[in-house]
Amino acid sequence: MESTRRKRKKQRGGEDTKADQEKKREMAQRKINGNKLFMTVLYAVAACGAVPISDLLDRASQRSDTLHSLSTMLTQDLDSHFPPIGRMIMPRPSMCHTSSLQTPNDKEQALQVSESDLMSLARSLLQAWSDPLEVLSTSVKTLPHPAQNSISNKIKELQEHSKSLGDGLNILSGKVRKWVRQAQTISSLPYSGGNDIGQDRISKLTNFHFLLSCFRRDSHKIDSFLKVLRCRAAKLQPEMC
Amino acid sequence: MMKKAVEVILLLFLLVSMPHAKGTRYSPPGKPTLTRCRSPEKETFTCWWEPGSDGGLPTTHALYYRKENSETVYECPDYRTAGENSCFFNKNNTSIWVNYNITVVATNTLGSTFSDPMDIDVVYIVKPNPPERLAVTVKEDKSWPFLRVSWEPPHKADTRSGWITLMYEIRVKLEQENKWEMHLAGQQKMFNIFSLRSGGSYLVQVRCKPDHGFWSEWSSTSYIEVPDYFPREKSVWILITVFSAFIFVILFWLLHMNSHSLKHCILPPVPGPKIKGFDKQLLKNGKSEEIFSALMVPDFPPTTSSNFEDLLVEYLEVYIPEGQELTLQESKDLHDGCLKSEGSTSDSDSGRGSCDSHTLLIDNCGEAKEEERQQDQERMGMEAQRHQKDWEEKVLNYAHEDIVSPDMSSGRVKTWPSVFSPLPQYSSNPPDQQSSLEMAKQHYLSDSLFLPDSSSTYLTQPGHSTRESLEPSYCEFRLSNKQPHQLHPQMQASQQLHMTHSDVNISSIGCKQAPAGLQSPDLRSTQYVEVQKVNKEDMVLLQPVGKGCRHIELCPKMPQGDNYSKVKGVNSDNILLLQRGVMEEDRCPCEDQETNGAREHSHTASTVTTTQKPTACIHTAMPVQDEMVLAVNGYVDTAIMCTLPTY
Repeated sequence: MESTRRKRKKQRGGEDTKADQEKKREMAQRKINGNKLFMTVLYAVAACGAVPISDLLDRASQRSDTLHSLSTMLTQDLDSHFPPIGRMIMPRPSMCHTSSLQTPNDKEQALQVSESDLMSLARSLLQAWSDPLEVLSTSVKTLPHPAQNSISNKIKELQEHSKSLGDGLNILSGKVRKWVRQAQTISSLPYSGGNDIGQDRISKLTNFHFLLSCFRRDSHKIDSFLKVLRCRAAKLQPEMC
Repeated sequence: MMKKAVEVILLLFLLVSMPHAKGTRYSPPGKPTLTRCRSPEKETFTCWWEPGSDGGLPTTHALYYRKENSETVYECPDYRTAGENSCFFNKNNTSIWVNYNITVVATNTLGSTFSDPMDIDVVYIVKPNPPERLAVTVKEDKSWPFLRVSWEPPHKADTRSGWITLMYEIRVKLEQENKWEMHLAGQQKMFNIFSLRSGGSYLVQVRCKPDHGFWSEWSSTSYIEVPDYFPREKSVWILITVFSAFIFVILFWLLHMNSHSLKHCILPPVPGPKIKGFDKQLLKNGKSEEIFSALMVPDFPPTTSSNFEDLLVEYLEVYIPEGQELTLQESKDLHDGCLKSEGSTSDSDSGRGSCDSHTLLIDNCGEAKEEERQQDQERMGMEAQRHQKDWEEKVLNYAHEDIVSPDMSSGRVKTWPSVFSPLPQYSSNPPDQQSSLEMAKQHYLSDSLFLPDSSSTYLTQPGHSTRESLEPSYCEFRLSNKQPHQLHPQMQASQQLHMTHSDVNISSIGCKQAPAGLQSPDLRSTQYVEVQKVNKEDMVLLQPVGKGCRHIELCPKMPQGDNYSKVKGVNSDNILLLQRGVMEEDRCPCEDQETNGAREHSHTASTVTTTQKPTACIHTAMPVQDEMVLAVNGYVDTAIMCTLPTY
C-alpha cells in the first residue's frame, strides 16, 4: 500500500514537475504580492493612525474600570464573612508590595504628572500584580470561605482582564511616539509573599483579604490614570470629558 | 442644739434628695458614632458623627484622625463648615489613596468616650453634588414632539480633566402619576425623551454618579408642558368609527353565513301540497288547466265528452264468500244521474295512506276518503263543478264496494267512493281482487240502493256476476261539501244506500266486531252498515244493521243474517228508498222503525251529511232537513259506524 502511494507520489511528482513548477511560481508571486500589499496596508494604517489613540485609551480605561469593579466586589464578598479579629491583625495598607511606587496623592499632583509617566505608572502597577494574582488564584481553592467558588471565578476574571489590559497598554505605549522615545520605565515590584498565604484559617482569610485590598487600590489608581490620559487625549472630542 | 441638728439633718436630707428629685445622674458621655464620610469631588471630604448621650453634662466632641503611614494624630481642622457634628477636611488635608483612621471623642466633665474608629479612603467615598442647570424643552418633530433635557455637571466636580468621570440618570413622570420613568444617560449631558402624552405636564429630574462611588441626590425638579398635538375628540371619533365598522362587518358576515337558517326561522317555508304523483311545479305555474289535468285520474272525473252511460255502475257486487251476497244491481233509473266514478281499485293516490293501516278505525278511513273526495272535487275547478252539477242531478251514485272476502285478513274495507270499479272485478275473483286491492284498506261496502223495482236481493253469491243479477239502482252517497245546499234538494232526490260491508277483519281493526257474523265466515263475511242519519255537518252516521238501536259504535255485533237494506224505490225526488231486507232475523226495533219510515225518508245522497251523533236509529222520522239527515230504512248494518266528517 505504501509502496503504491510512494509510486504514485513519484509519479505525481514526476508528472507535475513542469506544470507544478509553473503553478508554484505563480503562487509565489501571488504571495509576494500579497505580502507586499499587506505590509503597505499595515504601514499605512500604522502611519495614519487608523485607530485613534483616544479610542484606544477609551478601551483601556473601560477595561481598567471593569477590573476595579471586580476587585471591589471581591473585597465586599470577603468582608461579609470576615472574622472581626482578622481586622485586628490585618497589616496596614502601607505593607502592600506596591507601596514603594510613588504615585500622586492628590489631584494637583496627579494632574501635574506627565502622560508618559502616568502611562508608565499604570503599566508598572499592572505588571506588579501578575504574580500575586496567580498566587491568589491558586490559594483560593483552599480558602475557607462559603463563597469560594464565586471568588475563584472572579479571581480568574481578574487575571484575564489584567492580562488583556497589560497587552493593550503595551500596544498603546508602542503607538505613541513620545512614549516610545522616552522609553518608559516599568518599575519592578516583586511580590515577596511567596505562594503561601497562611496556614490557619484566620491567617488565610486575613492575608487574602489584605492582598485583595491592595489590589483594589492599585486597580483604582490604574483606572484613574488611564481616565486622565483619556481626557487629555480627547481634545478633539470635548464631550467625552 | 436641737434646732441646729434639725437644720443639719434637713440640709443633708435636701442634699441627698436633690439629685433624686431631679432624677438625673451625671455620667460620662455616651459613645458617639461616626455615621459617614463623604467626598463630593475627590478633593475634600466631610465626616459626620452621631453623638451619644451627653450624660447630663455639657459634652464636647472631637475628631481625631491618623493617616496610614504616620502615627501622628491630627485633630479635625474644621468643625463648622459642614455643620453640626461634622468635620470638614479641605484640600490641603485631604490625601487620596491614603487610609484615614478617624475617631470621634465625646468629652464631658466626668469623662470622655471614644467612638469606634473608621478607616476610609477618600476615593471610595465619592458622592458628587447633583447636576446643575437642568433645562427641559419641547422639540417638534413632524408633529410628534419630544423632550430635550440638558444639564450641567456639579460645578465642583472636575470632569474636564478626567479626574472624575460622572454618569447621569434622568427620571420623568407625569404630574398626576406616581411612578417615575428612569433613563440612564451615560456620560452625556443631554437626553431626548419620546412618546409623550399630548397635553401632559411632565416633571424631570437628573442625578449623577462617579464611576466608582455613590449616587448623588436628585436635582431640582423641572416642569414642562407638552402641547396638544393629538386632538382627543378626533381620536375618539375615529376610534368609534373604526370599531363600529368592524362590528358591522362581522355582523354582516355572520348574517351572510347563516342566511339560510335565518330564512327558515323568519319565513318558514310554506308547506306545499304533498300528493303523490302531483307535481308542485304545476301549481307554481299557475295554469289551472294543467293542474286539473294533472290531477285528473285518467277517467275521473268524467269529462263532458264522456259517456255517462259508461260511467254507470252496472252493479255492485258484494262478495260474501259463502253466504250472503249482495247483488248490486244497476239501476236504470240512475242511469242518468249516476256517474260512475271509476276509482281504481288500487288507487295509489288518494286516500290511500291513512286507511292502509290495519289499526285504523274505519272512521278515519271514511273521513279520509271523504275528504279526498272532496279535495278531488275541489280541484276539479270549473270543469268539476259542471260535473258535479251533473252528478247532483243524477243523484244516484253507485258505490262499489270491494267484495271483501272473509279470508281477507287485511280487512280491507274500501270506502265506497273509492271503490268504484267494474263489478266483474269484484265478482270474478275476489281473492284476486283482494290481491289487487291494497292491503289494509278499509272499505265501506255500500250497497247500492235497490230500486224498489228490483226485487233483487242484496245477497249475491260469490262469483256471481253482478250483471246477472238485477240491476239495482244505486245511490251513492255523494260527497260534496261544496254545494251542500245545492245538493240538498238533489240529495233528497237521491237515495243513498250505503251498505258497508265490514269485513271480519274490519271489525277486528277497530270497528265493531260482528261476532256472530264474523264467526261464520260465510255468512258474516260482509257486514252491513246502515246509515243512520246524516247529521248537520254532512256526516253520515252509519249503524250496523241489526241491533239497530244501538249506537253504531257500540254495536259490536253484527246482526245475523240481518238487515239488508232493500231498495224500495226511488221517489220523485230522486231519493232512494230503502227497506229492510227480509232475511233479517233480529230486527232492531229501530229497523222496524226504519222500515216504517223508510219510505218517507229520503237520503240525500249527494251531500255527505252525517249526523254527528251516531245515535240510535235515526231512521225514524228524520225528515230530510238541510242537514241532510239520512234516514235509512232497512239498512245494512255496518259493523262500523262511519261518521263522515263534516266539511
